[in-house]
Amino acid sequence: MSSKLTYNGQQYTLDEEATLLENLEKQAVSVEFHCRDGHCGACRSQLVSGEVDYSTFPMAYLKDGEILLCCSKSKKDITIKSL
Amino acid sequence: MAYTTFSTLSNDAMKEPMFFGNPVNVARYDQQKFEVFEKLIEKQLSFFWRPEEIDVSRDRIDFLNLPDHEQHIFISNLKYQTLLDSIQGRSPNMALLPIVSLPELETWIETWAFSETIHSRSYTHILRNLFTDPNEVFEDIVNNDEIQKRATDISFYYDGLIHAVQFMQLHGLEQDSVPYVNLEGNPEKLTLRDIKKKLYLCVCSINALEAIRFYVSFACSFAFAERDLLEGNAKIIKLIARDEALHLNSTQQMLNLWADGKDDPEMAEIAIECFAEGRAIFLKAAEQEKEWAQYLFKDGSMIGLNEEILCQYVEYIANQRMQAIGYEAPFTVKSNPIPWINHWLVSDNVQVAPQEAEISSYLVGQINSTVDSEDLSSFEL
Repeated sequence: MSSKLTYNGQQYTLDEEATLLENLEKQAVSVEFHCRDGHCGACRSQLVSGEVDYSTFPMAYLKDGEILLCCSKSKKDITIKSL
Repeated sequence: MAYTTFSTLSNDAMKEPMFFGNPVNVARYDQQKFEVFEKLIEKQLSFFWRPEEIDVSRDRIDFLNLPDHEQHIFISNLKYQTLLDSIQGRSPNMALLPIVSLPELETWIETWAFSETIHSRSYTHILRNLFTDPNEVFEDIVNNDEIQKRATDISFYYDGLIHAVQFMQLHGLEQDSVPYVNLEGNPEKLTLRDIKKKLYLCVCSINALEAIRFYVSFACSFAFAERDLLEGNAKIIKLIARDEALHLNSTQQMLNLWADGKDDPEMAEIAIECFAEGRAIFLKAAEQEKEWAQYLFKDGSMIGLNEEILCQYVEYIANQRMQAIGYEAPFTVKSNPIPWINHWLVSDNVQVAPQEAEISSYLVGQINSTVDSEDLSSFEL
């Protein structure tokens, strides 16, 4: 059974190879983005549960519990919500 | 408190605050108090580009074919961008270098201001191509009232900080023999805390400049290119926008590090104390940008962008930027009125010439130092 991505209470399938931002876009969820490279901070979101691996150093300032969707992937079930 | 280019005092840069600690002595980058500034330097260096790499020769034909009111929009916008980068090419160096205390932050400031000088050079590149004699355009930047209004507001905080720091470094802060007279010519009691406040407000103003003001002018440049017009210009602006995202990130970092008490504890107090003043700086910048939109479109709109949409974008981007540094969103607009702009702001697909997609990830971290024999196990000869 594949992992699940829950965004703002809605459940989606999770492709472990794609970033969380790509995952949401593929499922027609429109999310803020600019640089897609971890430095502008446009895609900052709240991590409710689960964990993320960054493919590039997340340069935007993150408060505790915040993640960047554009440069992070997840291997397990994950729950996030918009700020 | 005099500035020294090489302090012989043996100090641990890992224990210094970002500003107003000991002056930086050894430029070492093997350790960083705030790693993010090192990452910003690396990223900015990997983004290096030169205006001459972009062919803008087709833009002249496009420009000459534009109706008068669109020429006004395009040129005014370019003048404003020239003003902003004229300020940014020197001011971070002048204002921040004399007081910085971390080697990685010092180098970041220099790298940042240097990239702004590239931006200034690219405006000359664009204008030289559009006009046989660009002199008139450059001269109007200092004479145009609409541009002047903004210039004075932006340089106000920089100048105030520079002036106070120069006084402190020349006379110290005792003020018994030499009293401090501020830029307006009024006597002012100056303490280190007062100068720190000036620094806080100055960084707020820089952030408003790079995070709001710049983006309003980017929107105009990209709106032309959405119609396949002035594409050389848009390619240059795209590279500039990519750099600006890094610059605004760095001032967001400073403001957040202070507010969250991760740097100088006195700056955390000042962040609370100056909360209302900081907010007012952003709101005023947004207000001025709306007035600017009115001036741009005074003779008519262009396809895809008008005063109303640009004002909505000002509000939208102001909301985003203010939330990023811990302020409440002041405007009601919820979604981006010009979503097409996002595709111009993507960092990785900035393409200079059609045959060379410049992927920044090729340039940073291309050496993997953790390769062991296991990684080559599937290798056969």
